[in-house]
Amino acid sequence: MAYKPQFYPGTTTVGINRRKHMSGNLEKLRDIPEADVVAIMGHRAPGADYSSTHPPLKEMGEPDCPIRQIVAPTAGAAAGDRVRYSQWTDSMYFAPSTPYWRSYWGAINCKGCDPGTLSGRQIIEARERDIEIYTKQQYDSEMTDVALCSMRGCTVHGHSLRLEENGMQFDMLSRTEMGKDGNVYATKDQVGIPLDRKINLGKPMTEAEAKKRTTIFRADGLPMCGKAGARKYDEAVEALHHMWELRSKWGFRPE
Amino acid sequence: MVTESDTESIQVEIVPSRFLMPVTAQKLLNEIYGNGGIIRIMIHGPNLPRSVPYGPGRGAPIEENRGLLIEVAGQAFELCVKVGRIRLELESDKYFDGLKAACERALPFTFQIRRGKFFHTKPTITDYAKYGKMGDARILGLIDPKAKNDRLAILSEERVTITDEER
Repeated sequence: MAYKPQFYPGTTTVGINRRKHMSGNLEKLRDIPEADVVAIMGHRAPGADYSSTHPPLKEMGEPDCPIRQIVAPTAGAAAGDRVRYSQWTDSMYFAPSTPYWRSYWGAINCKGCDPGTLSGRQIIEARERDIEIYTKQQYDSEMTDVALCSMRGCTVHGHSLRLEENGMQFDMLSRTEMGKDGNVYATKDQVGIPLDRKINLGKPMTEAEAKKRTTIFRADGLPMCGKAGARKYDEAVEALHHMWELRSKWGFRPE
Repeated sequence: MVTESDTESIQVEIVPSRFLMPVTAQKLLNEIYGNGGIIRIMIHGPNLPRSVPYGPGRGAPIEENRGLLIEVAGQAFELCVKVGRIRLELESDKYFDGLKAACERALPFTFQIRRGKFFHTKPTITDYAKYGKMGDARILGLIDPKAKNDRLAILSEERVTITDEER
């Protein structure tokens, strides 16, 4: 029987969502044009050339190396692109993703990227044309709710603050706004420089939908132990206890 | 046995479950003011900078945070913070129920209201270093030690000291 990764234990919706994020088997909820994603990232003007740090690999004459022969370079690496980043802030009020799960998603599903996990934000670095693809995937999929998640290259705080009256995550730089038509619009790029036009990101999730798609265990949502009052803890907690025990007693060696 | 005086001032903190838009903040503050009995009041929340403070976009203007004027009891001032918490001192206990009702009228969502001790009574080292000896003890606890001198608001039935501006 072929090996099938399990990714994450548990039967709760949060456990299922975490498995979806890690496996990359995500539902596509919206389609934001590539040019708009590039504009929000703010590294280059849409349609402009990619800046490079070295000539294309084909022109460089790489050394004879078996690993280089096995592993095909990503499009960005082959072209010699600069390394760029996109950074996300996800509200703790039931945002679909969290820094850890964005990193798991990146590390497992995105070739040639470097995810960085912080308490309130998550950054992925990769070659420019690769990171643009990865960022679009994040924007378009159920990893992102346009009200509760936003791309913030700096002044990232907001993830642990209360939401605004209209359900948006607080942003000191007001990079996104809720339109009168109920759609969320990006008005600035990820570092707060105004865009030349407003970019429609679509409608935000309802509170119920955000709770359904979240990867956050919360006492006022779904606790990690599973349904309150159940006779048995969810497998996620059992697995965690198991890892804790192995790690505490013998050093963590999953075998 | 010590019996507490019913005319003793009380301190109250109001924490809405969402950050308030300027319109709602104005409505709430006016309702609170209408209830009366305020000795001092402080609004608190995350800073709203006028321009991008750091990063590659440093210095870019943030138009959304400019000109957020609200009018409370006929006096206009500019908001510098996203209103997330209001602390106030009332003359006596009898204004508390009215305050709660005022919050219920003004806020379209849930909020927490609690009594406690929220303003300090002795000047801190920072207070002393920045303002010297303070004549009026009501200023204590209203000053953000990190803010500049002009970023202070005191809204009270009697106008008290220092610049009457926003915090």
